[in-house]
Amino acid sequence: MTEQPLLSIRDLKTHFHTDDGVVKAVDGVSFDVHRGETVCIVGESGSGKSVTSESITQLIPMPPGEIVEGSVYYDGNDITTMTEDGVRSLRGSQIGHVFQNPQGALNPVYTVGYQIREAILSHRDVSKAEARELAVELLEEVGIPEAPTRVDDYPHEFSGGMKQRVVIAIALACDPEMLIADEPTTALDVTIEAQILDLFRHLQQELDMSIIFITHDLGVVAEIADRVVVMYAGKVMETGSVEKIFENPAHPYTKALLECLPGQAGLEPIPGALPSVTDPPNGCRFHDRCPYAIDMCRTGEQPPLHDLPGDHAVSCIHYEDGDGDLPELEDVDRMDAAIGGAR
Amino acid sequence: MKAYIAKRLAWTFFATWVTLTITFILMDLSPISASGAEFVDQQVQAGMDADEARELYEEQLGYGDTMWDRYVNFMVGLATLDWGLSTTYNQPVVDVIANSWIYSFQYVFPATVISVVLGFAIGLYSATHQYTREDYAATLFAFTGISLPNFWFAIMLILIFGVYLGWFPIFYSTEHGLLSLENAHQLVLPVVVLSTSAIASEMRYARAESLEYVHAEFVKTARAKGLSEGQVTVRHIFRPAMVPLITILVGDILGLLFAGGYVIEVIFQIPGLGLVSYEAIIQQDMPLVLATVLVPVFIAIIGNLIQDLCYTILDPRIDFGDR
Amino acid sequence: MSTDTDSKHADVTFEDIDWEEYDGAREFTPLMLAKILVLGGITLAWVLDWQFGSHRDPLFTVDPAGILEIAPNPGNVEWLFTLTIAVLFFYVVVPLYLNPRMTRHYWREFKKNKAAVVSLVFLGFIFLLAVFGPFIFGRPEIDITNAYQPPVFAGGTWAHPFGTMQSGEDVFQIVIIGARVSMMVGLIGCLMIIVLASAVGTTAAYFGGMVDEVLMRFVDIMLTFPTFFLILYVVFLYGGDLFTIILILGLTTWTATSRLVRSEALQRNEEQYIDAAKNVGAGERWIITRHLVPNVSNTIITAATLVIPSLILYEAVLAFLGFGDPNVWSWGRAISVGRSDLQNAWWIATMPGVFLFLTVLAFNFLGDALRDALDPRHE
Repeated sequence: MTEQPLLSIRDLKTHFHTDDGVVKAVDGVSFDVHRGETVCIVGESGSGKSVTSESITQLIPMPPGEIVEGSVYYDGNDITTMTEDGVRSLRGSQIGHVFQNPQGALNPVYTVGYQIREAILSHRDVSKAEARELAVELLEEVGIPEAPTRVDDYPHEFSGGMKQRVVIAIALACDPEMLIADEPTTALDVTIEAQILDLFRHLQQELDMSIIFITHDLGVVAEIADRVVVMYAGKVMETGSVEKIFENPAHPYTKALLECLPGQAGLEPIPGALPSVTDPPNGCRFHDRCPYAIDMCRTGEQPPLHDLPGDHAVSCIHYEDGDGDLPELEDVDRMDAAIGGAR
Repeated sequence: MKAYIAKRLAWTFFATWVTLTITFILMDLSPISASGAEFVDQQVQAGMDADEARELYEEQLGYGDTMWDRYVNFMVGLATLDWGLSTTYNQPVVDVIANSWIYSFQYVFPATVISVVLGFAIGLYSATHQYTREDYAATLFAFTGISLPNFWFAIMLILIFGVYLGWFPIFYSTEHGLLSLENAHQLVLPVVVLSTSAIASEMRYARAESLEYVHAEFVKTARAKGLSEGQVTVRHIFRPAMVPLITILVGDILGLLFAGGYVIEVIFQIPGLGLVSYEAIIQQDMPLVLATVLVPVFIAIIGNLIQDLCYTILDPRIDFGDR
Repeated sequence: MSTDTDSKHADVTFEDIDWEEYDGAREFTPLMLAKILVLGGITLAWVLDWQFGSHRDPLFTVDPAGILEIAPNPGNVEWLFTLTIAVLFFYVVVPLYLNPRMTRHYWREFKKNKAAVVSLVFLGFIFLLAVFGPFIFGRPEIDITNAYQPPVFAGGTWAHPFGTMQSGEDVFQIVIIGARVSMMVGLIGCLMIIVLASAVGTTAAYFGGMVDEVLMRFVDIMLTFPTFFLILYVVFLYGGDLFTIILILGLTTWTATSRLVRSEALQRNEEQYIDAAKNVGAGERWIITRHLVPNVSNTIITAATLVIPSLILYEAVLAFLGFGDPNVWSWGRAISVGRSDLQNAWWIATMPGVFLFLTVLAFNFLGDALRDALDPRHE
């Protein structure tokens, strides 16, 4: 992949200043999104997926949120150094957003048509009548039946799945090159979820968009992702093509996540809970819950992403020796003893 | 929708009837009413003819021997705008009200407009800038404003700007025309006093209601569309907050302005409804007291009706089947 | 519990709880006894005083030292005030003392709000001044020779720290008596609102149907009536002494709180422990007093605290307009007197007003912080 990525996030750190201290929601995240591909960000709730996605166009509330470090290059330009107006001109027109909860994502006091028109009129120089026509077309495109009449309905007259289609229509209003979807199907029924996923796939083929799709559901990842970013406690644990991640998971956390998938032979829950984000542990963020953790994992910083063969990288010290695999579980204690002895 | 409006109108009439009945019962059971014989005696001693005294008393407290008779007369009188004769003004109560309301209106209206605009604006700003220094300052102002006793604040302003600095007159004078510059000048202090507490209270409500929406999902959607902060604030925070704010505007602010206006008129001697009512109470002018109490009640009832009708326009979600 | 083990379908019968007995048994804890003795004692003394006492003469007079004068001359208000303080003690101070864990939790939440802590200290000071001040510093008396003395910080003497009025009454003593009046109005009124609002609110919520409909429609109508004019009208018809005015204030301001209590109780009524209580045969009175009221008490207390400032302001306005008790020095009345002396004695209107303003402000801060600390739903 030699072409310039559409979006390139480098060492992004988004912190929140609260009464209980600084919450390091995103603490040094890097990944790329190329044109026309779907990148899934996966991780447990609280791992910083949503904050990462909202940091891209600075939708996080500031204050208390703050992008302390890092850059977000969109089409070669760093969004973090842009003026507010500059960022705003990207929102909606270049980068569309779809949020988790369709029930709350639409303003109850305006018609859906108004809310779509609002997006069109803020970026395009068209008349209100034209904007209305466009809104109807968009509703048809996202699969809302009888769009010409429904355009004047209020959000409460739509079902959850239909609302999400409207939200997608708003996100698509100005033909963005990139769509950021933050758990868009989590709040929906399984059957509706499948329809919405179909819609995403269909839209991407038709419009050739890049999609960042955030989810905690690996089943969804398997269905739509080209590439995957695995996040844990504000850090990237592993990135790679969807084949690599599913067939050859490198990080112990990714392995554990895959073992949690229903239908897998040994359905294994991950012991323990997410570490504190105000006072993260030293070393690898996952060491507390990692069966492969050795003393070296518990000191210093999160290991840097280590390139593996193919489109694959992992943040785990066990790969730095170059053998490309995790040690056997029974060897872990011996490794500590060996290192301790050498010291 | 039509059925809802019809229902709402029927409720208004019912509520008015219950309110008037309560008003009547309170009056009829009161010692003032019970002391009728005493009153007649007093008037006779004061040199009045016994029949005349009786007539005067009945004129003031309603005709009839039984409570039911008095009640019927009371209600019929109110309905036919025959609100009795004021003894202090020696003219029909309705005329007294008609002559004095403009004096109240001339400063309550500007105070209402100022307080609604400023109160909502400050509240909205405060909500969108939560936990900033400006927000804390606004909240402190709000607490001060709602805690300041209107009448004391007025007196302190008179003390400073009237007595010591001499910038504004101490008492209202009816010599100037209503639309003259002098009249506006002498109304500055009343308007300031009245709007201070109203701004404070509206600002608090506006802030609380807007806060409900500052972190709403749809506000994020609006930002993600690329709307400017101003557009987001007005269209997506303020507009939905308007719905509950309308209730407060009529319910609380109306009461606040009326009560505030009452003492202000007494302090500044503005001959509006408040001062008329005050003097009627001092003079025991029953029909006038009743009228000056009922006027704000009617305004409140009509305000409530308008508020509910506004609700149906402002909130598309309202369920017309209910109530 | 008797179970028939022979039968295939075990015939389980629940133990019958004699609710009357259970209810009665609780009254014999020492605390309950103390509560009944004190509250009953005060009520009895009040009735006796009302029946046989003469309000002109003090019950007894003690003059141990020149500065301390004890000459109780309790009217209805004084008795009611005593009763209110006793109720406050048994239902606020004692539970807080008996549940130190809960108290610590509330205190931790409460002390986050610095303004509220300052307010609490200030109100505690005003409360003590109100309860004991008149006995320590005396009551204002006419003293023509001492008219228009300026306050101590404006060239006056410590004999009259806040100056004197046109007939020589000491403004400092008036401020103290005014504090007592305001505390009486605020606390007694608050207690009345708590009792009335929780009675009406929980009853409406519990019975629902017609009872709810009638009660709440009545509340709706009363809420439409602008409170100030309702109070003014009733005071005009029935008013006079402080006791009546406090009763009127309490009886006209409970409606908004009762509506709040009802909606809160309705939510609680849906909870499973109410069903559980019904299933074991608890009576309606039991469920209301033991399950509904305690669970909505935070809402009631918060709402009632937030009404105190307006009660105090209403009384002050009435006194200012001259519709208050002419025998009582309320802050409002003092401001009204001072108004005519603005040109030559600014302190008469200013000093009581400062105290009125600060007290109302402190109650507002306190109510706000209480809501934050007690009401989990409020942010």
